[in-house]
Amino acid sequence: MSRAAGVQPTQPPAHELDGAELEALLARCAAGDRSALETLYARVAPLLLAVLVRMLRRRDLAEDALQDVFVSVWQRARQFDPIRGRPLAWLISMARYRAIDLQRAARPAVALSEVSALEGEPQSEGPTDAIEMLGSGALLRRCLEQIAPPQRRCLMLAYQDGLTHTEIARAVNEPLGTVKSWVRRSLLALRRCLES
Amino acid sequence: MNYEQAELLDRLAAEYVLGTLRGAARRRFARLCAQSAAARGALYRWEDYWTHLSRTLPPVQPSARVWSNVTRQLFGAGAAAPRASRWRTWQLAAAAGLVAVTLIVGLIVRQQAPPPLQTLVVLGTDSAHPVWRLERRAPLTALEIEVVGAVPPAAGKSYELWALPRGGAPVSLGLLPAGGRAERRLNEPQRAALLAADKVAVSIEPLGGSPTGSPTGPIVIVTSVSAAG
Repeated sequence: MSRAAGVQPTQPPAHELDGAELEALLARCAAGDRSALETLYARVAPLLLAVLVRMLRRRDLAEDALQDVFVSVWQRARQFDPIRGRPLAWLISMARYRAIDLQRAARPAVALSEVSALEGEPQSEGPTDAIEMLGSGALLRRCLEQIAPPQRRCLMLAYQDGLTHTEIARAVNEPLGTVKSWVRRSLLALRRCLES
Repeated sequence: MNYEQAELLDRLAAEYVLGTLRGAARRRFARLCAQSAAARGALYRWEDYWTHLSRTLPPVQPSARVWSNVTRQLFGAGAAAPRASRWRTWQLAAAAGLVAVTLIVGLIVRQQAPPPLQTLVVLGTDSAHPVWRLERRAPLTALEIEVVGAVPPAAGKSYELWALPRGGAPVSLGLLPAGGRAERRLNEPQRAALLAADKVAVSIEPLGGSPTGSPTGPIVIVTSVSAAG
């Protein structure tokens, strides 16, 4: 909603999130500036909610998780380590880890047989589409493209959809051991490529 | 296990970030990160690698409840609105495996001159299949509903639109057309409910609409909306 109701922050979320700006906002949060939290929310909440909806598959749980994340952001803003830079990675990670923590509670509501139906669209798109949306020059894209499609799909199901090894094995119809070793080797290959 | 081995640390960090490291091993690595700069270094590196991929997702606008709950939880002032997941009806809808996908959330104000007609929300079964576009008059006296995609067949049934006012019972906004374009005039209770709503929903009802005034059939779409803007 470009014009939000009530007290919800109304700044349009920037498509291009500026790391320096986010870092400054986190520093102001650490100093107790509530308006900085509001601005930060307007900037990144829609992105974080997208991540959470994708992983939790339930809008209501995703919104609860988003609430938890922003409470944590405020409480832990002082722990943000400016040396590491990239505040967006910190924020996205916080959201993803919260989703992973919540999945144990969330999953029983959706039988595994229904997972593929619920996920239909993202999964049928396959990993390729998401990768194509990465800028053509993006290193991550180049490196992911070097991984064979079945293995790459496992990585994407884990990262984007938050599936466990077991769930991935069912989704791609391969033995659990195969999936585990695919994931491990793909990550090694990915790191070699990303660091080259 | 010697966690200080760089290779092992990196592997654990990679699977932690990817999300495939679970359970006790996950908690153990999180604790290790609190103590070991090397572990944190590996963790940050992997988090940074993947960030671009998260950013490819289309943003999803949170409903107003989330921000007000954040401020209430942190700074007090008043009772918190119920957390979204207490909305049992929608939990059941999700548990039943029904797809509730937000398409275009919220209010896209058209830039044209009057008469003011604003897109309120686009409803669909998933992000690739928009079905109905809801537009509103300003002031809010009626909804214009246009069928913009294939309506999933529902033999002998009607699709009914509901406003979900915060903290209140669903209020019917009428039936959704099976084709073409329709205007739904809003009476005062409907108007008030839509203005107070942060979500709208679509349920499948007996032909002609719910006999009880509340949703009786499966809820196939729930999405955030803000008509109050």
